[in-house]
Amino acid sequence: MEERGLVSHAQRGDEHAFAALVRPHLEMSYRVAYVITGSAAEAEDAAQDALLKAWRALGRFRAGEPFRPWLLRIVANEARNRRRSAGRRLRLALRAAAEPVAADDHDSRALIEALNELPEDAQAVLAYRYLLGLSEQETAVVLGVALGTVKSRTSRALERLRELYD
Amino acid sequence: MTELERALAQLDVDWPATPSFAYRRPQRRRWPAVAVAAVLALAVAFAVPPARGAILRFFHLGGETVERVHSLPRAQDRTLRQSLGAPITHEQARQLLTRPFALRGVQVYRSGSAVSALLSGGVLFSELYTGGGPVAIKKFIVGATGVRSVELDRATPAYWFADRHVYIPPTLPARYAGSTLVWERFGITYRLEGRGLTLERAIALARPLR
Repeated sequence: MEERGLVSHAQRGDEHAFAALVRPHLEMSYRVAYVITGSAAEAEDAAQDALLKAWRALGRFRAGEPFRPWLLRIVANEARNRRRSAGRRLRLALRAAAEPVAADDHDSRALIEALNELPEDAQAVLAYRYLLGLSEQETAVVLGVALGTVKSRTSRALERLRELYD
Repeated sequence: MTELERALAQLDVDWPATPSFAYRRPQRRRWPAVAVAAVLALAVAFAVPPARGAILRFFHLGGETVERVHSLPRAQDRTLRQSLGAPITHEQARQLLTRPFALRGVQVYRSGSAVSALLSGGVLFSELYTGGGPVAIKKFIVGATGVRSVELDRATPAYWFADRHVYIPPTLPARYAGSTLVWERFGITYRLEGRGLTLERAIALARPLR
């Protein structure tokens, strides 16, 4: 069933439709929450609560609009609220997926180290845009900023990253 | 896209594994006092060591609260037939559950707000209306000794309790229980219990009931 149909069914209380609707976005939701909270456990709780809120708010979702940015906005808000209420910020520490075995892997590791040295805002915008593959629009939604801000922030973050990486 | 952007996009990052998320249908009515009072409790055996009776962790599934403890609390050894409660009609069961009992043509019994029937092979099947509770989405707990999360279908999480545990049914004293499958749908918590009941048989019995 298409997303539009799933939304329509879920809005009428069909839990199967809701599960099918959010399933493709669970990983992305969790990772967005992880980028914001810097903690796997906090991210899990934030994503769960966000799913609950999404279910409750589904009646206000406007048919025909893309579902993922709508869901990610809820996830990001929930994760930010959790981070705020915790009163502390765990620094997001990205790691390479595997031990380096080739020259390219060493480059990857250096790039990740450079990413970890970036200021939070810069690290987050690059994580959303390039590591998670969110569009500029989606990144704007997740960050809660204007599209122009995403563009300028991305540009500055890339510049800073290049300085650290080179 | 610049070379740096391409390198970023191709980075293989070690993200933490995405956890499983389970869904529960939202409830639309308010909790009736009777349902609150009838919340079931299960004390599940978990490890052995000290601090007898201490609760290690708990979680909820539908109307059931599951507590992991170091050692089981004292309970009675009763047969499933002794655990049924008082006989009622299917119409009375429908009123308690807000919908018909899943099985027709069987004698049904009431214990608190739980409605039960004894199936062939000595399997106890119970339904407990817990509708009206808050909307909840809960995570599965994995790796728990003797407790396993299973899925009856994509949207119906269930827990399988393979080990002997203590079960505190509504209005009846705590008793020892055998293998049990618990799941929740549409505000009803379902339970299949039997000594010697296997997970495969429990799932086969549960599928047409859910």
